[in-house]
Amino acid sequence: MSSIPGGRRVLITGLGFITPIGNDRATVSAHLRGGKHGLAPVEFLGNPLIPVKVAGTVKDFSVDSANCRDWTWPARYDLPRETLRGMAPHGVYAFCALSQALEDAGLKPQDIANDDQTGLFCASAGSAMLMYHNLALMHSVKGERGNPMGVVASIAGTLNFNLAAHFHITGAVCGFVSACASASHAIGYASDEIRLGRLKRVVVVGAEELNAETLLPFAAMRALSPQSDPVKASRPFDAGRDGFVGAGGSVVMILEEASLAASRGAPVYAEVAGWGQAADGHSVAMSHPAGAGLQRAMNRALADAGVQPKDIDYVNAHGTSTPVGDRAETIALKSLFNAVGARPAISSTKGLTGHPLSLAGAMEAAFCALAMKEGFTPGNPHLVTPDEACAELLLPRETLPTGPATVLNNSSGFGGSNVCHVLKTVG
Amino acid sequence: MSFETLPASPSQLARYPVEARDAYERFRTTGDAEALRIVVLAAVRDFMPKRNLGATNIEIKDEMKLMEDLGYDSLAVAETVFFFEDLFKVRIENTELMSVRTIGELRSFVSRKLTENKPSA
Repeated sequence: MSSIPGGRRVLITGLGFITPIGNDRATVSAHLRGGKHGLAPVEFLGNPLIPVKVAGTVKDFSVDSANCRDWTWPARYDLPRETLRGMAPHGVYAFCALSQALEDAGLKPQDIANDDQTGLFCASAGSAMLMYHNLALMHSVKGERGNPMGVVASIAGTLNFNLAAHFHITGAVCGFVSACASASHAIGYASDEIRLGRLKRVVVVGAEELNAETLLPFAAMRALSPQSDPVKASRPFDAGRDGFVGAGGSVVMILEEASLAASRGAPVYAEVAGWGQAADGHSVAMSHPAGAGLQRAMNRALADAGVQPKDIDYVNAHGTSTPVGDRAETIALKSLFNAVGARPAISSTKGLTGHPLSLAGAMEAAFCALAMKEGFTPGNPHLVTPDEACAELLLPRETLPTGPATVLNNSSGFGGSNVCHVLKTVG
Repeated sequence: MSFETLPASPSQLARYPVEARDAYERFRTTGDAEALRIVVLAAVRDFMPKRNLGATNIEIKDEMKLMEDLGYDSLAVAETVFFFEDLFKVRIENTELMSVRTIGELRSFVSRKLTENKPSA
Protein backbone atom coordinates (compact mmCIF):
# COMPACT_ATOMS: atom_id res chain seq x y z
CA MET A 1 0.00 0.00 0.00
CA SER A 2 1.06 3.52 -0.65
CA SER A 3 2.72 5.40 2.17
CA ILE A 4 0.90 8.60 1.12
CA PRO A 5 -1.83 9.54 3.60
CA GLY A 6 -5.36 9.44 2.32
CA GLY A 7 -5.10 6.10 0.58
CA ARG A 8 -5.69 7.56 -2.86
CA ARG A 9 -4.80 5.14 -5.63
CA VAL A 10 -3.69 6.02 -9.15
CA LEU A 11 -5.05 4.02 -12.07
CA ILE A 12 -4.07 3.95 -15.73
CA THR A 13 -7.36 4.32 -17.60
CA GLY A 14 -6.37 5.21 -21.13
CA LEU A 15 -3.46 4.78 -23.54
CA GLY A 16 -2.62 6.35 -26.89
CA PHE A 17 0.18 5.13 -29.13
CA ILE A 18 2.10 6.72 -31.99
CA THR A 19 5.16 4.48 -31.97
CA PRO A 20 7.60 2.73 -34.28
CA ILE A 21 5.66 -0.51 -33.65
CA GLY A 22 2.22 0.87 -34.33
CA ASN A 23 -0.13 3.82 -34.19
CA ASP A 24 -2.93 2.08 -32.33
CA ARG A 25 -3.23 -0.31 -29.41
CA ALA A 26 -4.00 -3.43 -31.46
CA THR A 27 -0.97 -2.99 -33.73
CA VAL A 28 1.34 -2.24 -30.81
CA SER A 29 0.07 -5.31 -28.97
CA ALA A 30 0.59 -7.52 -32.04
CA HIS A 31 4.18 -6.30 -32.42
CA LEU A 32 4.99 -6.82 -28.75
CA ARG A 33 3.47 -10.31 -28.71
CA GLY A 34 5.07 -11.30 -32.01
CA GLY A 35 8.47 -9.79 -31.24
CA LYS A 36 8.23 -7.73 -34.44
CA HIS A 37 10.44 -4.67 -34.50
CA GLY A 38 9.51 -1.27 -35.97
CA LEU A 39 12.95 -0.26 -37.19
CA ALA A 40 13.45 0.85 -40.79
CA PRO A 41 16.33 2.06 -43.00
CA VAL A 42 17.06 5.78 -42.74
CA GLU A 43 19.40 8.22 -44.44
CA PHE A 44 19.89 11.66 -42.93
CA LEU A 45 20.95 14.84 -44.75
CA GLY A 46 21.14 12.88 -48.01
CA ASN A 47 24.48 11.53 -46.87
CA PRO A 48 25.03 7.76 -47.08
CA LEU A 49 28.36 8.12 -45.26
CA ILE A 50 26.69 8.83 -41.92
CA PRO A 51 26.99 5.65 -39.82
CA VAL A 52 23.33 5.72 -38.76
CA LYS A 53 21.47 3.25 -40.92
CA VAL A 54 18.26 2.29 -39.11
CA ALA A 55 15.86 3.99 -36.71
CA GLY A 56 12.50 3.47 -35.02
CA THR A 57 10.53 5.43 -37.58
CA VAL A 58 6.98 6.72 -37.19
CA LYS A 59 4.74 5.57 -40.02
CA ASP A 60 1.80 7.41 -41.66
CA PHE A 61 3.09 10.87 -40.74
CA SER A 62 5.15 13.32 -42.77
CA VAL A 63 6.68 15.99 -40.55
CA ASP A 64 10.13 16.49 -42.06
CA SER A 65 9.57 20.01 -43.39
CA ALA A 66 10.37 23.07 -41.30
CA ASN A 67 7.01 24.49 -42.43
CA CYS A 68 4.10 22.98 -40.52
CA ARG A 69 1.84 23.59 -43.51
CA ASP A 70 3.63 20.78 -45.33
CA TRP A 71 2.98 18.19 -42.62
CA THR A 72 0.53 15.32 -42.96
CA TRP A 73 -0.96 12.94 -40.39
CA PRO A 74 -3.69 10.28 -40.38
CA ALA A 75 -6.95 11.87 -41.50
CA ARG A 76 -8.95 10.68 -38.49
CA TYR A 77 -7.26 13.25 -36.23
CA ASP A 78 -8.84 16.70 -36.36
CA LEU A 79 -5.85 18.98 -35.88
CA PRO A 80 -6.87 22.56 -36.70
CA ARG A 81 -4.48 25.00 -38.29
CA GLU A 82 -4.60 27.38 -35.35
CA THR A 83 -3.26 24.60 -33.11
CA LEU A 84 -0.80 23.29 -35.68
CA ARG A 85 0.82 26.71 -36.13
CA GLY A 86 2.53 26.56 -32.72
CA MET A 87 3.55 22.94 -32.83
CA ALA A 88 6.73 20.97 -33.39
CA PRO A 89 6.73 17.72 -35.37
CA HIS A 90 6.56 15.68 -32.17
CA GLY A 91 3.61 17.82 -31.10
CA VAL A 92 1.64 16.36 -33.98
CA TYR A 93 2.46 12.85 -32.78
CA ALA A 94 1.41 13.88 -29.27
CA PHE A 95 -1.85 15.44 -30.40
CA CYS A 96 -2.81 12.19 -32.13
CA ALA A 97 -1.72 10.00 -29.19
CA LEU A 98 -3.65 12.23 -26.78
CA SER A 99 -6.80 12.09 -28.89
CA GLN A 100 -6.45 8.31 -29.01
CA ALA A 101 -5.86 8.01 -25.23
CA LEU A 102 -8.96 10.06 -24.44
CA GLU A 103 -11.06 7.83 -26.65
CA ASP A 104 -9.48 4.75 -25.09
CA ALA A 105 -10.35 6.06 -21.61
CA GLY A 106 -13.94 6.73 -22.63
CA LEU A 107 -13.43 10.49 -22.37
CA LYS A 108 -14.33 13.26 -24.75
CA PRO A 109 -12.25 16.43 -25.14
CA GLN A 110 -15.00 18.38 -23.37
CA ASP A 111 -14.62 16.11 -20.31
CA ILE A 112 -11.11 17.42 -19.65
CA ALA A 113 -11.66 20.99 -20.92
CA ASN A 114 -11.88 23.65 -18.21
CA ASP A 115 -11.84 20.97 -15.52
CA ASP A 116 -9.83 22.20 -12.55
CA GLN A 117 -9.17 18.61 -11.48
CA THR A 118 -7.43 17.60 -14.72
CA GLY A 119 -3.75 18.36 -15.28
CA LEU A 120 -1.35 17.86 -18.16
CA PHE A 121 2.27 16.74 -17.59
CA CYS A 122 4.51 16.49 -20.63
CA ALA A 123 7.97 15.22 -21.44
CA SER A 124 9.88 16.53 -24.43
CA ALA A 125 13.27 17.94 -25.29
CA GLY A 126 11.79 20.50 -27.67
CA SER A 127 12.43 20.57 -31.39
CA ALA A 128 16.08 20.96 -32.36
CA MET A 129 15.02 20.93 -36.02
CA LEU A 130 12.63 23.89 -35.75
CA MET A 131 15.05 25.72 -33.47
CA TYR A 132 17.77 25.33 -36.08
CA HIS A 133 15.57 26.64 -38.90
CA ASN A 134 14.21 29.57 -36.90
CA LEU A 135 17.66 30.66 -35.77
CA ALA A 136 19.09 30.20 -39.27
CA LEU A 137 16.44 32.62 -40.58
CA MET A 138 17.22 35.03 -37.75
CA HIS A 139 20.88 35.06 -38.70
CA SER A 140 20.19 35.30 -42.44
CA VAL A 141 18.08 38.47 -42.05
CA LYS A 142 20.24 39.84 -39.23
CA GLY A 143 17.43 39.60 -36.73
CA GLU A 144 14.98 41.72 -38.72
CA ARG A 145 12.15 39.21 -38.80
CA GLY A 146 11.17 35.77 -37.58
CA ASN A 147 8.34 33.30 -37.31
CA PRO A 148 6.11 34.55 -34.48
CA MET A 149 5.37 30.94 -33.48
CA GLY A 150 9.06 29.99 -33.45
CA VAL A 151 9.48 30.08 -29.68
CA VAL A 152 6.40 28.10 -28.70
CA ALA A 153 7.01 25.58 -31.47
CA SER A 154 10.63 24.81 -30.73
CA ILE A 155 11.71 25.26 -27.11
CA ALA A 156 11.43 22.52 -24.50
CA GLY A 157 7.88 23.02 -23.24
CA THR A 158 6.33 23.13 -26.70
CA LEU A 159 4.21 20.08 -25.90
CA ASN A 160 2.72 21.53 -22.73
CA PHE A 161 2.13 24.97 -24.26
CA ASN A 162 0.23 23.69 -27.26
CA LEU A 163 -1.70 20.80 -25.78
CA ALA A 164 -2.80 22.76 -22.71
CA ALA A 165 -4.13 25.55 -24.91
CA HIS A 166 -5.86 23.26 -27.38
CA PHE A 167 -7.49 21.00 -24.79
CA HIS A 168 -8.26 23.88 -22.37
CA ILE A 169 -6.39 22.35 -19.44
CA THR A 170 -7.02 24.32 -16.23
CA GLY A 171 -5.95 21.95 -13.42
CA ALA A 172 -2.20 22.23 -13.91
CA VAL A 173 0.32 22.12 -16.74
CA CYS A 174 4.05 21.54 -16.68
CA GLY A 175 6.91 19.88 -18.47
CA PHE A 176 9.78 17.61 -17.52
CA VAL A 177 13.29 17.71 -18.95
CA SER A 178 15.56 14.95 -17.66
CA ALA A 179 16.56 13.47 -21.03
CA CYS A 180 15.70 9.78 -21.23
CA ALA A 181 14.05 9.81 -17.78
CA SER A 182 11.72 12.74 -18.65
CA ALA A 183 8.50 10.84 -19.27
CA SER A 184 9.11 8.66 -16.23
CA HIS A 185 9.41 11.78 -14.12
CA ALA A 186 6.12 13.01 -15.59
CA ILE A 187 4.38 9.77 -14.59
CA GLY A 188 5.91 9.85 -11.11
CA TYR A 189 4.98 13.42 -10.31
CA ALA A 190 1.56 13.00 -11.91
CA SER A 191 0.95 10.07 -9.56
CA ASP A 192 2.01 12.17 -6.58
CA GLU A 193 -0.35 15.00 -7.53
CA ILE A 194 -3.21 12.52 -7.54
CA ARG A 195 -2.12 10.75 -4.36
CA LEU A 196 -1.78 14.09 -2.56
CA GLY A 197 -5.31 15.00 -3.59
CA ARG A 198 -4.27 18.00 -5.68
CA LEU A 199 -5.66 16.64 -8.94
CA LYS A 200 -7.98 13.79 -9.81
CA ARG A 201 -6.74 13.17 -13.31
CA VAL A 202 -3.47 13.82 -15.13
CA VAL A 203 -2.85 13.41 -18.84
CA VAL A 204 0.79 12.31 -19.16
CA VAL A 205 2.40 12.91 -22.54
CA GLY A 206 5.80 11.85 -23.81
CA ALA A 207 6.96 12.65 -27.33
CA GLU A 208 10.11 12.83 -29.36
CA GLU A 209 10.86 13.56 -32.98
CA LEU A 210 13.17 11.58 -35.20
CA ASN A 211 15.29 13.69 -37.54
CA ALA A 212 18.90 14.61 -38.16
CA GLU A 213 18.83 17.49 -35.69
CA THR A 214 17.60 15.32 -32.79
CA LEU A 215 19.45 12.10 -33.51
CA LEU A 216 22.82 12.83 -35.14
CA PRO A 217 24.26 14.66 -32.12
CA PHE A 218 24.12 11.25 -30.40
CA ALA A 219 26.25 9.82 -33.21
CA ALA A 220 28.77 12.52 -32.35
CA MET A 221 28.82 11.07 -28.82
CA ARG A 222 29.46 7.62 -30.36
CA ALA A 223 26.30 6.39 -28.66
CA LEU A 224 24.48 5.03 -31.75
CA SER A 225 24.74 1.60 -33.33
CA PRO A 226 26.22 1.71 -36.85
CA GLN A 227 24.50 -1.54 -37.86
CA SER A 228 22.26 -1.64 -40.91
CA ASP A 229 20.52 -4.89 -39.91
CA PRO A 230 17.70 -3.88 -37.53
CA VAL A 231 17.94 -7.15 -35.63
CA LYS A 232 21.61 -6.52 -34.86
CA ALA A 233 21.30 -2.78 -34.36
CA SER A 234 19.08 -2.81 -31.26
CA ARG A 235 19.92 -5.85 -29.11
CA PRO A 236 19.86 -4.90 -25.44
CA PHE A 237 21.91 -7.14 -23.12
CA ASP A 238 23.56 -8.97 -26.04
CA ALA A 239 27.34 -9.38 -25.90
CA GLY A 240 27.59 -7.86 -29.39
CA ARG A 241 25.53 -4.71 -28.69
CA ASP A 242 27.20 -1.57 -30.00
CA GLY A 243 24.97 1.41 -29.32
CA PHE A 244 21.35 2.48 -29.34
CA VAL A 245 18.96 3.03 -32.24
CA GLY A 246 17.05 6.32 -32.28
CA ALA A 247 13.27 6.46 -32.40
CA GLY A 248 10.39 8.92 -32.48
CA GLY A 249 6.71 9.00 -31.59
CA SER A 250 4.41 9.81 -28.72
CA VAL A 251 2.58 7.91 -26.02
CA VAL A 252 -0.12 9.32 -23.78
CA MET A 253 -1.37 7.83 -20.51
CA ILE A 254 -4.49 8.93 -18.69
CA LEU A 255 -3.96 8.60 -14.92
CA GLU A 256 -7.01 8.88 -12.69
CA GLU A 257 -7.72 8.69 -8.99
CA ALA A 258 -9.46 5.37 -8.33
CA SER A 259 -12.75 6.79 -7.09
CA LEU A 260 -13.10 9.03 -10.16
CA ALA A 261 -12.33 6.10 -12.43
CA ALA A 262 -14.88 3.94 -10.60
CA SER A 263 -17.56 6.62 -10.64
CA ARG A 264 -17.49 6.86 -14.41
CA GLY A 265 -16.91 3.17 -15.06
CA ALA A 266 -13.55 3.80 -16.69
CA PRO A 267 -11.56 0.91 -18.17
CA VAL A 268 -8.52 0.11 -16.02
CA TYR A 269 -5.17 -1.18 -17.25
CA ALA A 270 -3.16 -1.18 -14.04
CA GLU A 271 -2.34 0.78 -10.92
CA VAL A 272 0.70 3.01 -10.59
CA ALA A 273 1.48 1.59 -7.17
CA GLY A 274 4.59 3.65 -6.50
CA TRP A 275 7.67 5.22 -7.90
CA GLY A 276 11.17 6.23 -6.91
CA GLN A 277 14.06 8.25 -8.21
CA ALA A 278 17.71 8.69 -7.37
CA ALA A 279 20.75 10.25 -9.00
CA ASP A 280 24.16 8.81 -9.86
CA GLY A 281 26.28 11.86 -9.08
CA HIS A 282 28.81 10.45 -11.46
CA SER A 283 28.91 11.55 -15.13
CA VAL A 284 27.22 13.99 -17.46
CA ALA A 285 26.32 11.23 -19.90
CA MET A 286 27.37 7.78 -18.69
CA SER A 287 25.69 5.59 -16.11
CA HIS A 288 27.41 4.92 -12.81
CA PRO A 289 29.45 1.74 -13.52
CA ALA A 290 27.55 -0.24 -10.89
CA GLY A 291 24.20 1.43 -11.53
CA ALA A 292 24.28 2.92 -8.03
CA GLY A 293 21.58 5.52 -8.64
CA LEU A 294 19.38 3.04 -10.45
CA GLN A 295 19.67 0.61 -7.52
CA ARG A 296 18.51 3.31 -5.13
CA ALA A 297 15.70 4.36 -7.45
CA MET A 298 14.45 0.75 -7.75
CA ASN A 299 14.58 0.29 -3.99
CA ARG A 300 12.69 3.51 -3.43
CA ALA A 301 10.03 2.57 -6.00
CA LEU A 302 9.52 -0.82 -4.37
CA ALA A 303 9.32 0.74 -0.90
CA ASP A 304 6.84 3.37 -2.12
CA ALA A 305 4.67 0.63 -3.62
CA GLY A 306 5.03 -1.56 -0.53
CA VAL A 307 6.36 -4.55 -2.48
CA GLN A 308 9.43 -6.77 -2.14
CA PRO A 309 11.84 -7.76 -4.95
CA LYS A 310 10.32 -11.27 -4.98
CA ASP A 311 6.90 -9.72 -5.78
CA ILE A 312 8.13 -8.36 -9.12
CA ASP A 313 7.16 -10.63 -12.04
CA TYR A 314 8.59 -8.53 -14.85
CA VAL A 315 11.09 -5.71 -15.27
CA ASN A 316 10.87 -3.51 -18.36
CA ALA A 317 14.53 -2.51 -18.33
CA HIS A 318 15.88 0.79 -19.59
CA GLY A 319 18.30 -1.38 -21.67
CA THR A 320 19.16 0.89 -24.58
CA SER A 321 21.69 -1.50 -26.16
CA THR A 322 24.75 0.57 -25.27
CA PRO A 323 27.72 -1.36 -23.84
CA VAL A 324 28.11 0.82 -20.73
CA GLY A 325 24.44 1.47 -19.91
CA ASP A 326 23.25 -2.12 -20.16
CA ARG A 327 26.15 -3.35 -18.05
CA ALA A 328 25.37 -0.83 -15.28
CA GLU A 329 21.70 -1.80 -15.30
CA THR A 330 22.64 -5.51 -15.21
CA ILE A 331 24.70 -4.97 -12.07
CA ALA A 332 21.92 -2.94 -10.46
CA LEU A 333 19.30 -5.58 -11.29
CA LYS A 334 21.46 -8.38 -9.94
CA SER A 335 22.11 -6.53 -6.71
CA LEU A 336 18.39 -5.99 -6.16
CA PHE A 337 17.00 -9.37 -7.19
CA ASN A 338 19.70 -12.02 -7.00
CA ALA A 339 20.65 -11.13 -3.45
CA VAL A 340 17.21 -12.31 -2.28
CA GLY A 341 16.84 -15.14 -4.77
CA ALA A 342 14.22 -13.35 -6.87
CA ARG A 343 14.25 -13.96 -10.63
CA PRO A 344 11.74 -11.80 -12.50
CA ALA A 345 11.51 -11.92 -16.28
CA ILE A 346 13.47 -8.98 -17.68
CA SER A 347 13.26 -7.49 -21.15
CA SER A 348 13.98 -4.24 -22.92
CA THR A 349 11.33 -3.42 -25.50
CA LYS A 350 13.83 -1.00 -27.06
CA GLY A 351 14.97 -4.03 -29.04
CA LEU A 352 11.73 -3.61 -30.99
CA THR A 353 11.25 0.16 -30.92
CA GLY A 354 14.68 1.69 -30.65
CA HIS A 355 15.19 4.38 -28.02
CA PRO A 356 12.81 7.36 -28.15
CA LEU A 357 14.73 9.45 -25.57
CA SER A 358 12.31 11.71 -23.63
CA LEU A 359 9.40 9.48 -24.59
CA ALA A 360 10.93 6.19 -23.38
CA GLY A 361 9.47 6.05 -19.87
CA ALA A 362 5.88 6.69 -20.95
CA MET A 363 6.09 4.36 -23.92
CA GLU A 364 7.44 1.51 -21.84
CA ALA A 365 5.06 2.07 -18.93
CA ALA A 366 2.24 1.93 -21.47
CA PHE A 367 3.65 -1.30 -22.96
CA CYS A 368 3.71 -2.78 -19.44
CA ALA A 369 0.13 -1.69 -18.77
CA LEU A 370 -0.96 -3.21 -22.07
CA ALA A 371 0.85 -6.48 -21.34
CA MET A 372 -0.73 -6.64 -17.87
CA LYS A 373 -4.21 -6.08 -19.21
CA GLU A 374 -3.90 -8.43 -22.19
CA GLY A 375 -1.91 -11.16 -20.42
CA PHE A 376 1.54 -11.45 -21.97
CA THR A 377 5.11 -10.57 -21.07
CA PRO A 378 7.37 -9.03 -23.75
CA GLY A 379 10.61 -10.87 -24.53
CA ASN A 380 14.02 -10.02 -26.00
CA PRO A 381 13.73 -11.30 -29.58
CA HIS A 382 17.04 -9.77 -30.73
CA LEU A 383 19.06 -11.36 -27.94
CA VAL A 384 21.40 -13.99 -29.41
CA THR A 385 24.39 -14.19 -27.07
CA PRO A 386 23.63 -12.65 -23.68
CA ASP A 387 26.46 -10.63 -22.18
CA GLU A 388 28.13 -12.90 -19.66
CA ALA A 389 27.44 -10.29 -16.99
CA CYS A 390 23.74 -11.11 -17.49
CA ALA A 391 24.19 -14.84 -16.80
CA GLU A 392 22.09 -14.82 -13.64
CA LEU A 393 19.24 -12.76 -15.10
CA LEU A 394 16.12 -14.26 -16.66
CA LEU A 395 16.03 -12.70 -20.13
CA PRO A 396 13.40 -14.61 -22.13
CA ARG A 397 13.75 -14.29 -25.89
CA GLU A 398 10.18 -15.23 -26.69
CA THR A 399 7.09 -13.45 -25.44
CA LEU A 400 5.71 -15.22 -22.36
CA PRO A 401 2.04 -16.21 -22.64
CA THR A 402 1.11 -14.90 -19.19
CA GLY A 403 0.87 -11.33 -17.99
CA PRO A 404 2.80 -10.04 -15.00
CA ALA A 405 0.88 -8.97 -11.87
CA THR A 406 3.58 -6.64 -10.56
CA VAL A 407 5.97 -4.79 -12.83
CA LEU A 408 9.02 -2.60 -12.37
CA ASN A 409 9.72 -0.11 -15.18
CA ASN A 410 13.19 1.49 -15.30
CA SER A 411 14.42 4.66 -16.98
CA SER A 412 17.73 6.47 -16.80
CA GLY A 413 18.78 9.78 -18.30
CA PHE A 414 21.80 12.01 -18.78
CA GLY A 415 23.33 13.42 -15.65
CA GLY A 416 22.61 10.21 -13.75
CA SER A 417 18.86 10.66 -13.44
CA ASN A 418 17.13 7.34 -12.61
CA VAL A 419 13.36 6.88 -12.28
CA CYS A 420 11.44 3.65 -11.65
CA HIS A 421 7.74 2.83 -11.40
CA VAL A 422 5.93 -0.12 -9.92
CA LEU A 423 2.70 -1.08 -11.70
CA LYS A 424 0.23 -3.59 -10.26
CA THR A 425 -2.76 -5.31 -11.79
CA VAL A 426 -6.11 -4.26 -10.36
CA GLY A 427 -8.30 -7.22 -9.38
CA MET B 1 11.98 46.34 -51.74
CA SER B 2 9.87 46.78 -54.83
CA PHE B 3 8.01 44.29 -56.94
CA GLU B 4 10.69 44.15 -59.66
CA THR B 5 13.20 42.41 -57.40
CA LEU B 6 10.87 39.75 -55.99
CA PRO B 7 11.90 36.16 -56.71
CA ALA B 8 9.90 33.84 -58.97
CA SER B 9 7.93 30.91 -57.51
CA PRO B 10 8.61 31.55 -53.82
CA SER B 11 8.37 28.49 -51.54
CA GLN B 12 5.92 30.34 -49.29
CA LEU B 13 3.25 30.08 -52.01
CA ALA B 14 3.99 26.50 -53.01
CA ARG B 15 0.77 25.20 -51.44
CA TYR B 16 -1.42 28.13 -52.49
CA PRO B 17 -4.12 27.88 -55.17
CA VAL B 18 -2.87 28.34 -58.72
CA GLU B 19 -4.81 31.63 -59.00
CA ALA B 20 -2.78 33.07 -56.13
CA ARG B 21 0.52 31.85 -57.57
CA ASP B 22 -0.36 33.24 -61.01
CA ALA B 23 -1.37 36.55 -59.43
CA TYR B 24 1.97 36.73 -57.61
CA GLU B 25 3.84 36.21 -60.89
CA ARG B 26 1.71 38.92 -62.53
CA PHE B 27 2.35 41.30 -59.67
CA ARG B 28 6.11 40.78 -59.63
CA THR B 29 6.38 41.32 -63.39
CA THR B 30 3.86 44.16 -63.84
CA GLY B 31 3.15 45.62 -60.39
CA ASP B 32 -0.56 45.10 -61.06
CA ALA B 33 -2.49 46.17 -57.93
CA GLU B 34 -5.38 43.80 -58.64
CA ALA B 35 -2.93 40.88 -58.75
CA LEU B 36 -1.51 41.92 -55.37
CA ARG B 37 -5.06 42.02 -54.00
CA ILE B 38 -5.55 38.37 -55.00
CA VAL B 39 -2.33 37.34 -53.20
CA VAL B 40 -3.29 39.25 -50.03
CA LEU B 41 -6.77 37.73 -49.94
CA ALA B 42 -5.38 34.24 -50.45
CA ALA B 43 -3.05 34.73 -47.48
CA VAL B 44 -5.85 36.17 -45.33
CA ARG B 45 -7.95 33.12 -46.09
CA ASP B 46 -5.01 30.81 -45.42
CA PHE B 47 -4.26 32.21 -41.97
CA MET B 48 -7.89 32.61 -40.89
CA PRO B 49 -8.50 30.47 -37.77
CA LYS B 50 -10.96 27.84 -38.90
CA ARG B 51 -12.30 26.87 -35.49
CA ASN B 52 -13.72 30.29 -34.69
CA LEU B 53 -15.67 30.60 -37.86
CA GLY B 54 -16.36 27.13 -39.07
CA ALA B 55 -16.83 28.28 -42.64
CA THR B 56 -13.75 28.73 -44.78
CA ASN B 57 -15.41 29.67 -48.03
CA ILE B 58 -17.03 32.91 -46.94
CA GLU B 59 -16.54 35.85 -49.24
CA ILE B 60 -13.87 38.19 -47.91
CA LYS B 61 -14.74 41.86 -48.36
CA ASP B 62 -12.63 44.98 -47.96
CA GLU B 63 -14.64 46.33 -45.04
CA MET B 64 -14.34 43.15 -42.99
CA LYS B 65 -12.33 43.38 -39.76
CA LEU B 66 -9.66 40.73 -39.29
CA MET B 67 -10.41 40.08 -35.64
CA GLU B 68 -14.11 40.85 -35.25
CA ASP B 69 -15.35 39.49 -38.57
CA LEU B 70 -12.83 36.85 -39.56
CA GLY B 71 -12.00 35.38 -36.15
CA TYR B 72 -8.33 36.31 -36.22
CA ASP B 73 -6.50 36.34 -32.90
CA SER B 74 -3.33 38.35 -32.33
CA LEU B 75 -1.15 35.32 -33.11
CA ALA B 76 -2.86 34.82 -36.46
CA VAL B 77 -2.30 38.51 -37.21
CA ALA B 78 1.38 38.13 -36.30
CA GLU B 79 1.64 35.04 -38.48
CA THR B 80 0.07 36.83 -41.45
CA VAL B 81 2.37 39.80 -41.04
CA PHE B 82 5.41 37.52 -40.89
CA PHE B 83 4.18 35.79 -44.04
CA PHE B 84 4.11 39.11 -45.91
CA GLU B 85 7.46 40.15 -44.46
CA ASP B 86 8.99 36.89 -45.59
CA LEU B 87 7.28 36.81 -48.98
CA PHE B 88 7.92 40.43 -49.94
CA LYS B 89 11.20 40.90 -48.00
CA VAL B 90 9.90 43.88 -46.07
CA ARG B 91 9.99 44.78 -42.40
CA ILE B 92 6.73 45.72 -40.70
CA GLU B 93 6.88 47.54 -37.35
CA ASN B 94 4.48 46.95 -34.47
CA THR B 95 3.22 50.52 -34.73
CA GLU B 96 2.38 50.02 -38.40
CA LEU B 97 0.64 46.80 -37.55
CA MET B 98 -1.63 48.54 -35.05
CA SER B 99 -3.14 50.67 -37.81
CA VAL B 100 -4.35 47.66 -39.81
CA ARG B 101 -7.80 46.46 -38.80
CA THR B 102 -9.71 45.71 -41.98
CA ILE B 103 -8.96 43.76 -45.13
CA GLY B 104 -8.93 46.98 -47.13
CA GLU B 105 -6.42 48.58 -44.75
CA LEU B 106 -4.24 45.46 -44.96
CA ARG B 107 -4.29 45.54 -48.77
CA SER B 108 -3.38 49.17 -49.05
CA PHE B 109 -0.75 48.79 -46.33
CA VAL B 110 1.00 45.92 -48.16
CA SER B 111 0.77 47.84 -51.42
CA ARG B 112 2.26 50.98 -49.85
CA LYS B 113 4.98 48.95 -48.21
CA LEU B 114 6.00 47.53 -51.57
CA THR B 115 6.27 50.88 -53.26
CA GLU B 116 7.65 53.18 -50.54
CA ASN B 117 11.22 51.95 -50.89
CA LYS B 118 11.17 51.81 -54.65
CA PRO B 119 14.55 52.84 -56.02
CA SER B 120 14.47 56.39 -57.42
CA ALA B 121 15.98 55.22 -60.70
